[in-house]
Amino acid sequence: MTETFLGYERPDGQMGIRNWVGVLSVMDNVNPIAAAICQNVAGTLLIKTLFVRGQYGRDLEITYNTLAGMGRNPNLASILVVGLEETSTSQVADRIRNCGKPVDVLLVQNEAGSIAAMAEGIRKAAALAVAASSERRKPVPVSALCIGVECGGSDTTSGLAANPCIGRVSDRIVEGGGKVVISETSEFLGAEHLFAERAIDETVRKAFLDRVDRMEKEALMRGVDIRGTNPVADNIRGGLTTIEEKSLGATAKAGTTPLVGVLDYGEAAVIPGMHFMATPAPAVESMTGLAAGGCQLILFSTGVGNMIGNMVSPTIKITANANTARRQADNIDVEVTSVLESDRTIEEAGDELFRFVLDVASGTLTRSEVLDMRETAVSRFEPTI
Amino acid sequence: MVRALVMDREDNVATLIDAGKAGDRCHLKGPGGGEVILRADIPYGHKIAIKPIAEGGTVMKHGQDIGVTNASIGVGEHAHVHNVESRRGRGDKHKLQSAQARKS
Repeated sequence: MTETFLGYERPDGQMGIRNWVGVLSVMDNVNPIAAAICQNVAGTLLIKTLFVRGQYGRDLEITYNTLAGMGRNPNLASILVVGLEETSTSQVADRIRNCGKPVDVLLVQNEAGSIAAMAEGIRKAAALAVAASSERRKPVPVSALCIGVECGGSDTTSGLAANPCIGRVSDRIVEGGGKVVISETSEFLGAEHLFAERAIDETVRKAFLDRVDRMEKEALMRGVDIRGTNPVADNIRGGLTTIEEKSLGATAKAGTTPLVGVLDYGEAAVIPGMHFMATPAPAVESMTGLAAGGCQLILFSTGVGNMIGNMVSPTIKITANANTARRQADNIDVEVTSVLESDRTIEEAGDELFRFVLDVASGTLTRSEVLDMRETAVSRFEPTI
Repeated sequence: MVRALVMDREDNVATLIDAGKAGDRCHLKGPGGGEVILRADIPYGHKIAIKPIAEGGTVMKHGQDIGVTNASIGVGEHAHVHNVESRRGRGDKHKLQSAQARKS
């Protein structure tokens, strides 16, 4: 039987699991305008960014692509791009327009001050919100899903139970013809030999190992032990001792299917199957890359607790730590503590999680959406001039 | 009795899924099974040695190398950052090696 969910079809054929009007700021200096627009228009989603002014070369290109990638994410019905001036704004707006969704632009310098800019932005966003509200969900197969798999505030329970449950969901999504993206390059150190064996061919295997190798060389150049940064202090308090141990647990999120592709930060997965995206390990940066790459939904395990989710890609919080499930229940969507506490199988707990994934894809809200525990951070790869 | 999980037959550490006190009996769940006595108070989620590990020995979890000891660890003792080091991402050692290479 083909598993289905209720999604919104977009002009490029992608399926959204939400129907927001994105209000996308393309430079830090217009964030207050974008925020004010969202406060006044129902159905909008604020996507802020830091920097952009003063970025150049490869770093700027990645930033533009990441901002545009979030705009193209099918969870957005349409987008209002808010920028300071025309050149940088059109760089992002033009890269979104090719997906066929309605895109409007607000150029703050062309308005008579911030009050006028807000008023004009509210007018534009209101028109987009009314139009978006006539979109309807329809049943679509799981093959239309692209999910990101993430962990944050990890402890040993993450690798023992929560990540393997996510791995079970990854397998079911891939078996259904969908896409899964695992990220966080440094969290392959010590486990990369096992993941590399799963590559579909030599090109993919080399591309993956090259990303891990480059990241480790950069880290070595800094002249310090990465322990303390990864694993970080709260991981260590949670019982994780080395990056190797953390990596072996983290990669369980990728299940067992072959690795079919290696993606740059924010790059979209095109073919079905399991992909690796080269991103920094911190969750907000990593999830921003996943959302820009078109993930409609993110599965996020936590051990000692990390409540943050992505703006564009609803984020399901999963824990296997009984203390965290009890103390931080407000922020946990699915607890899989029974795997450790009462020997429930990974398959059973993972299948229950899979059913919840389809519910969220059909409209059930996650804790991070309801409580607005969401943030955006586009990774920086070079310094600003 | 507190519980600890063993992930693979090759493993020489197990992860506690209850907080334990020194002297507690600890039931090992997973491949091999058995029981050990805790030699220290050990927090939830932390690891104990289930086989003696010599100084400079490899710590095995999930049937894989997760690091190297800088002191011997006896059965039932806490295995963590005070006696286990990572082999990877060691910029501190890299810097030392680079400096020695420049001198010689």
